[in-house]
Amino acid sequence: MIKITDLEKYYATEEVRTIALNKLSFSVKTGEFVAVMGPSGCGKSTLLNILGLLDDPDGGSFMFNDIEVSGFNERKRAELRKHNIGFVFQSFNLIDELTVFENVELPLIYTGVKSAERKERVDAVLEKMQIMHRRKHFPQQLSGGQQQRVAVARAVVNNPKLILADEPTGNLDSSNGNEVMGLLTELNEAGTTIIMVTHSEHDAKYSHRIIRMLDGQKVTENILADFKSSERPLTTEGGTLTPAEVK
Amino acid sequence: MFINYLKIALRNLWKNKGYSFLNIFGLAIGICCAALIFLWVEDEVNYNSNFADSNLIYTIPSNQKYDGQWRTFTQATPGPLAAELKESVPGIEHSAKTWQSDFLLNANDKSVNKSGWYVDPEYLDIFKLEFVEGNANNALTDVKSIVITQTLANQIFGKNVPALGQSIRLNDAEEFKVTGVVEDLPNNVTFGFECLVPFRNFELENPWTKEYGANFATTFVKLSPTANFETVNQGVRDFVMDKFEEDDTVFFLHAMKDWRLRDNFENGEQAGGRIQYVKLFIIIALFILLIASINFMNLATARSEKRANEVGVRKALGSDKRSLIYQFITESVMTTLIAGLLGVALIAILLPQFNMLIEKQLIMGWDDPLHLLGLFTITLSLGILAGLYPAFYLSSFNPVEVMKGMKTTSRSANLIRKGLVIGQFVISIVFIISAFTVYEQIQYVKSRELGYNKENLLRIPVKGDIVKNFSPIKQDLLATHTVNHMALSNSKILNAGNNGSGLTWKGGIDTEDILISYRYVSNGFFETVGITLKEGRNFSSTIAKDSSSAIISESFAKLMGDDSAIGKTINRWGDSYTVTGVAEDYLYGDMYGTSDPVMFINNHSEARYLYMRVDSTADLNAAINQIEETLAKYNPAFPPEYEFVDSSFNAKFQSENLVGKLSQVFALLAVIISCLGLFGLSAYTAEQRKKEIGVRKVLGSSVVNIVKLLSADFLKLVMIAMIIAIPAGYFLMNNWLQDFAYRIDINYWTFFIAAAMAQVIALATVSFQAIKAAIANPVTSLRTE
Ligand SMILES: Nc1ncnc2c1ncn2[C@@H]1O[C@H](COP(=O)(O)OP(=O)(O)O)[C@@H](O)[C@H]1O
Ligand SMILES: [Mg+2]
Repeated sequence: MIKITDLEKYYATEEVRTIALNKLSFSVKTGEFVAVMGPSGCGKSTLLNILGLLDDPDGGSFMFNDIEVSGFNERKRAELRKHNIGFVFQSFNLIDELTVFENVELPLIYTGVKSAERKERVDAVLEKMQIMHRRKHFPQQLSGGQQQRVAVARAVVNNPKLILADEPTGNLDSSNGNEVMGLLTELNEAGTTIIMVTHSEHDAKYSHRIIRMLDGQKVTENILADFKSSERPLTTEGGTLTPAEVK
Repeated sequence: MFINYLKIALRNLWKNKGYSFLNIFGLAIGICCAALIFLWVEDEVNYNSNFADSNLIYTIPSNQKYDGQWRTFTQATPGPLAAELKESVPGIEHSAKTWQSDFLLNANDKSVNKSGWYVDPEYLDIFKLEFVEGNANNALTDVKSIVITQTLANQIFGKNVPALGQSIRLNDAEEFKVTGVVEDLPNNVTFGFECLVPFRNFELENPWTKEYGANFATTFVKLSPTANFETVNQGVRDFVMDKFEEDDTVFFLHAMKDWRLRDNFENGEQAGGRIQYVKLFIIIALFILLIASINFMNLATARSEKRANEVGVRKALGSDKRSLIYQFITESVMTTLIAGLLGVALIAILLPQFNMLIEKQLIMGWDDPLHLLGLFTITLSLGILAGLYPAFYLSSFNPVEVMKGMKTTSRSANLIRKGLVIGQFVISIVFIISAFTVYEQIQYVKSRELGYNKENLLRIPVKGDIVKNFSPIKQDLLATHTVNHMALSNSKILNAGNNGSGLTWKGGIDTEDILISYRYVSNGFFETVGITLKEGRNFSSTIAKDSSSAIISESFAKLMGDDSAIGKTINRWGDSYTVTGVAEDYLYGDMYGTSDPVMFINNHSEARYLYMRVDSTADLNAAINQIEETLAKYNPAFPPEYEFVDSSFNAKFQSENLVGKLSQVFALLAVIISCLGLFGLSAYTAEQRKKEIGVRKVLGSSVVNIVKLLSADFLKLVMIAMIIAIPAGYFLMNNWLQDFAYRIDINYWTFFIAAAMAQVIALATVSFQAIKAAIANPVTSLRTE
């Protein structure tokens, strides 16, 4: 599903040039659950932002479903993103002015799903995340664990092919953290590809494979579990990516 | 999607009630202000537009050359001109000569004074009036017929009582038959009336109107729809030139649409008029809207951090920049729509006050689609104007940076915000400067030395037996000691008119083509109005003795030579007059200009006004009662009427007064709106620097120091605004003053006072927040972090 080769990213801030990613290469198969680990500042978030099409690399290649996407403009990236990728952030990043329901509904609005269907799907996912009873609440009225469950609900409501999670348990206590990891594992078992950045060896054990980074480079890879690529259909058609079919 | 935007917008507005209030209130004032101005503009621009064929109707003014200068007379044509133009100039379909007058109408035991016109019957072909009773085809064919307005008909004959065929006695003389009742004219017409009477009646009383020689009538023409304006205009010109065989009188067409807005002429050329004020006020309205929208922009961008995270999340979830722009504009439009509702309330409350101020009866038509559309357009465009920049700014946030919690307020945004604050204050200070300067100029002209005493001077239109009974009226009133002097005159002392050229004399500058004003007065005139005689003697009380004497004004005397004019002879149209006195020059006509030389002749047989000097120590109400009683005694048929000269003097400055009053109001509003914005910004800064202030206080900084710290930035901006506004204001006001021949020199103090005022108001606004922040307990602000 993902293949990056010699990916580079620099940050130039007033005379200092930081190399955030230094000729990083690896690939991720469809259905895989990959954990990315490494010390603070080694480029994990930068990597995730590029994989999530929020940011553009400065060099190297990024193939997403066999399409080179590194040169895409913002419009095309947004289009690709909203149909294929879900995000879970460390700080939840829910919109304070929207209720739980409305937050989860947002990605569906952006992909143009009709209102009745939206309601059905949001309710279903809230049910699944066991947060249904809080659907009319605002984020600030929820605990951290609940907020992160809402964030996960929002990330999956669109049935993305890929979920990117940046330290999803970083702000949670261990029981809430385990709950979120459980949710992610379930999703992965249902076929969703997951790439997760984490500081926790414990959380990393949920994955198939750990990629360890240092100074923008990959240092080692540990295979934790046997992963057999499932032959799920990709969202390619005649060489161009089209919006995923949403059921 | 849209619903989602609305929800977010409303929740944000609700969550930040304070800032929302500042925004909405400022925008509402702006909307109200603009709506009121546009109502006024609509009224001005729609002057005379109620008449059908308004694009075919013209008056015929003339340009006449005196002493090398073209002078324009808008309502002065010879009597025969109307008919002859129609006869000779192709393209003129109808023409009518007219003369405006006051009429006393008696009928049904009622007696009322109304203003109306003597008009040729074709007047009704030119102005297609709506006849409620009778019809336009024959309404004015009979000499003793009268057409009245609906209101007048109701007033005299009662509602729902047919007026047609009823008889009205006019000016206590003959009976006239009502041959038509027409719908009332709207307020915004140039030549209004309450009754129309055939011109023939005026002609019978004044046979001279049948001849060329006197320019007095207002002539209206209507072109055929196919006629070419230029051709007809040239035709009129050529006809008159052939007629007079001179090239120093040019008649031309003045279009109905220009009667109100473009009625100034300079050296024979059209030179604007009220249209300049209309344009000026449109610009002012736009500036007020701009100031209000700047508040919105500044508060939105200053507080952008609050929204940055949302932008990041939305982008991560697949929103592109365009839909974010759309979202933020929806928000600003929402805000202005709420402001629009508040604006509507403000309009409803303030319109009566505004009407009083501008002396009009403007109506906001809440059921008038044009008005509602206008209001909606103002609101919507304001929303877009205010929202555009914040929308582009906020939507361009990079989600990666935002979610890393990096500072989102860019330096350029800060700079733009400062620039906008400066812009607001430049506009405000320029408004204040203008308000001051306009006020000074008006006061300056109003206090100009007139050469007579306008206070306690009463003017009574001559009607009925006033001239006949002048002596007993005078005797009776002087005996009461409430009136000191009285005299008759053929002209209003404030006004020009009644003039001519072609006078000759020996010595001095022999210019036959100098325009001289003639004033036919009774003896006692100079004492009554307070004009000082410089030389020679006053008119004697025996008219016969003085029938060939003339008193001339000083400027006339100068034309006759450097030596004394007394005893010299003036020839006028075959008669000769001996100068017996020289009066000091006095100001009349154009209050900004220099008045023409005057020749006073002792003859009151044609007097039109009676002037009275009321004793300055007398009780005014008692005096007026006294005068009314006496007039009622000697002129019983006519209800007494009077006007004070000083109030007609003030009325001459109507446009100036309007501009003066409105510039004060708008300056005030501009300052208020700008300060609302400043208040919000300073509140926000204080909020942001709460922690810093806490730390500083803990480290020993005094309240004064903190207030200084917080206020300094803003005051710097106002200072810069001042530096820009002063030359800008100077330039504008200097330009404006050029339109006045008699004008003030721009006073620099005005500028500094205006700027200092803005500075003080801004300081008060900003320091309120600063002090609030500075006296807060540092412990609480530090603990919250
Ligand atoms: N917007 C930015 N501007 C400048 N430097 C940045 C920016 N974002 C990240 N960096 C730098 O790039 C490097 C990698 O950052 P990041 O990907 O956030 O690391 P991690 O997520 O692994 O902690 C760090 O040295 C960081 O300081
Ligand atoms: Mg990171």
